[in-house]
Amino acid sequence: MSDASADRDDDAAPAGEREGRFERYTTRTLVAGTTVAGVVTLLVAGLLFPDSLPGTLAAVLTSGDTLAAALRLSVPIAFAALGGIFAEKSGVINIGLEGLLIISAFGAIYVADVTGGIWIGFVGGVAASTLLAALFAVVTIGFRADQIIAGLAVWLIALGLAPFASQVIYGSPNTPTVATSPSISVPVLAELPFLGALFSASPSVYLLFAAVALSWYVLERTPFGRWIRASGENPEALDTAGVNVTRVRYASVLLSGVLAGMGGAALSLDLGQFTGNGPTMVNGKGFIAIVAYLFGNYNPVGAFLSTLLFAGLDAVQTVLQLQGIGIPRQLIRVAPFVVVIVVLALVGRTRLPAAAGDHYETEE
Amino acid sequence: MSAADRARDALDRLAEASATERVLISSAALVLSVLVGAALVLVAGRMTACTADEAVYYFGTGFCYDPVVVFDRLFFGALGDPLGGEWSPNGQFAVTLRETTLLLFTGLSVALAFRAGIFNIGTQGQMVAGALATALGVGWASAFVSGALATVALVPFGVLVGATVGGLYGAVPGALKAYADANEVITTIMLNFIATGVALYLVSGVFKDPNSAANQTVPLPEFARFPSLLFGGQQDFSLVALLFGLVAVAGLYYVLEHTAFGYDVRTTGAQPEAAEYGGVDAERTVVASFALSGALGGVAGAMYVMMVLGTFQTGIPSYGFDGITVSILAGNNPLGVGVAALLFGVLKSGTTVVQFATDVPPQLVGVLRGLIILFVAMPEFFRLLARGLPGRRSGRGPEAAATDGGVAVGDGTASGETAGSDGAEAADERGRERRDGGGR
Repeated sequence: MSDASADRDDDAAPAGEREGRFERYTTRTLVAGTTVAGVVTLLVAGLLFPDSLPGTLAAVLTSGDTLAAALRLSVPIAFAALGGIFAEKSGVINIGLEGLLIISAFGAIYVADVTGGIWIGFVGGVAASTLLAALFAVVTIGFRADQIIAGLAVWLIALGLAPFASQVIYGSPNTPTVATSPSISVPVLAELPFLGALFSASPSVYLLFAAVALSWYVLERTPFGRWIRASGENPEALDTAGVNVTRVRYASVLLSGVLAGMGGAALSLDLGQFTGNGPTMVNGKGFIAIVAYLFGNYNPVGAFLSTLLFAGLDAVQTVLQLQGIGIPRQLIRVAPFVVVIVVLALVGRTRLPAAAGDHYETEE
Repeated sequence: MSAADRARDALDRLAEASATERVLISSAALVLSVLVGAALVLVAGRMTACTADEAVYYFGTGFCYDPVVVFDRLFFGALGDPLGGEWSPNGQFAVTLRETTLLLFTGLSVALAFRAGIFNIGTQGQMVAGALATALGVGWASAFVSGALATVALVPFGVLVGATVGGLYGAVPGALKAYADANEVITTIMLNFIATGVALYLVSGVFKDPNSAANQTVPLPEFARFPSLLFGGQQDFSLVALLFGLVAVAGLYYVLEHTAFGYDVRTTGAQPEAAEYGGVDAERTVVASFALSGALGGVAGAMYVMMVLGTFQTGIPSYGFDGITVSILAGNNPLGVGVAALLFGVLKSGTTVVQFATDVPPQLVGVLRGLIILFVAMPEFFRLLARGLPGRRSGRGPEAAATDGGVAVGDGTASGETAGSDGAEAADERGRERRDGGGR
């Protein structure tokens, strides 16, 4: 347990771990390579036989609408993944991201509904998520609660609280709709065939681009980023260097609340409604985010790309559902969850040799 | 560290390990959750509109919802109002026992996994798999038998089918964890989504009951369901099922405490390295525990089909997630699960009473579930509360805490981190280690 997060970072890896890391990268490369190769094959096949199933798939894949949908679906997952990176890098595993997404999705709609302002609603959603993250921080950092159980509690509390509040306020677990913000189009660039989707999107997509870049910069290029990594790798050393580890961790967890909150708020505000039936509109996105940043090796850019992979899959399945290509709708819908398990199994395996050796290292 | 300090630390450790403290913490967590829940009801009551007559007044302020009524209905209503004079075992009390029966199995499922150092969030999915298999298996088998003896044959058969399929579905994340090092928290959550999705596909397609508008399987004949002894049966409760649940409680307790397999499970959970040195096959224990845990979840599904619904319908209530609460509340002890399941059965059954008696949304119980888990997860909070002064904590405690906090998601020291997922127990243990470490 102890060194669970310690052996993950790259800088501090001892010589013996290099090999493990190498293997890990090759598996990643393998998965990514297979995906790319598969897509290319599909596109070529589609080009040659436009009327076949590959042809349909290729058409779906190359359509700007698919990219636009993938970007839209990426927003909540990628924001949550960025938040997860900050928390986990600092040594606090935030499995409650799902709960943060739920509470911010509801909070954003509620505030937007009351004030009439979309951006005020956005801030409201972020505030709700940050508050819940603060509770999580106090419980895990201040009172040393088990992080997994506390994270689970955060999810379950939000899962109950958001529909509860919606029921109290609106008389139904689903909120009424509020106005959505129009998408922003960059002239000329938006006209591009496929990539045009990148330049004609909802503001939250641009916000996500900025957040990915900024997160990468903060983590890799600033002293604060170094503190976060040190706090997760070797808190004793950070302590010795005179930096308050507790504070760094509190800041990181709050930051994860802010980022996840942006994702949740964007999710509901883009649709203009919060739906709270069953697993709510968030429906596992917080958990997919965790797998996304694991697969992205804790790198914000990597996490974003792997999110795009999952979201792209989701976008394709939505389009396929509409086109009806013979695979039952309910089965296509579980495909992303199956992929998550497969990816996790592939990425997880290579970690084993690297971690097995240094179990006692971080014990005092 | 002086001798006195050392002695006090030793006493601390003893106290921490004691079952009494576990019971105290669980009770305190429960009380605190009810208090927070009451506050929530008050706040929610301020946010809705009602006439002045309907409102209740506390501290000179009017509220639309009355937490006293809510919790009165929740607890006494669930017991069928034993103080009201006209108590009958057939009313709400039977519903409570029915919920308790199902929670016994899901609670045991989670508890067994916890003891092996595994966090099985997939009990819900295993229950869905078991329930669907039971509905189909018994439906198929009921064509071959009939009469009084049929019940004696079909009910155990259904339980067996549910246990087998649930167990197999549970073995999947077990194998993924043991051999591919995939974190079980994520895989089980994903498998829950998959189970629900695939069940929906099957039940809305191939196995759909042609005579029903709902997505459900063909209903089982009456003789293929749990017999309702003593209780009239209007509430879909069967004493046989409850007794079976109690046998499972005793059985799992015996297995964990008095058999070689139980020893393997407990040592793997508490001291993975020691278990490995002691010759325990960690991988096999993980898979076996997960399979057994899944089997218990599958039995819960079988019970739900053969006792409550008589068919498989999509949208199975969240007994699996409630099982997590039950198990955590019980300190992952099978005997404790018995008590916690009854308590949570009261909460679940009381929800419907609250729904009838008040306007408070039933999702309140979902919030309570989360709060209970949260509070039980932080024993340190209650220790501080009990001591009344926070000064005793050593300065570096919290920092050290997070290094070893939580399960490494997707990361896998096969041995190391299993202990971390062992919930409250591991939290206690870590607290203890840290204290030792700090004083060194």
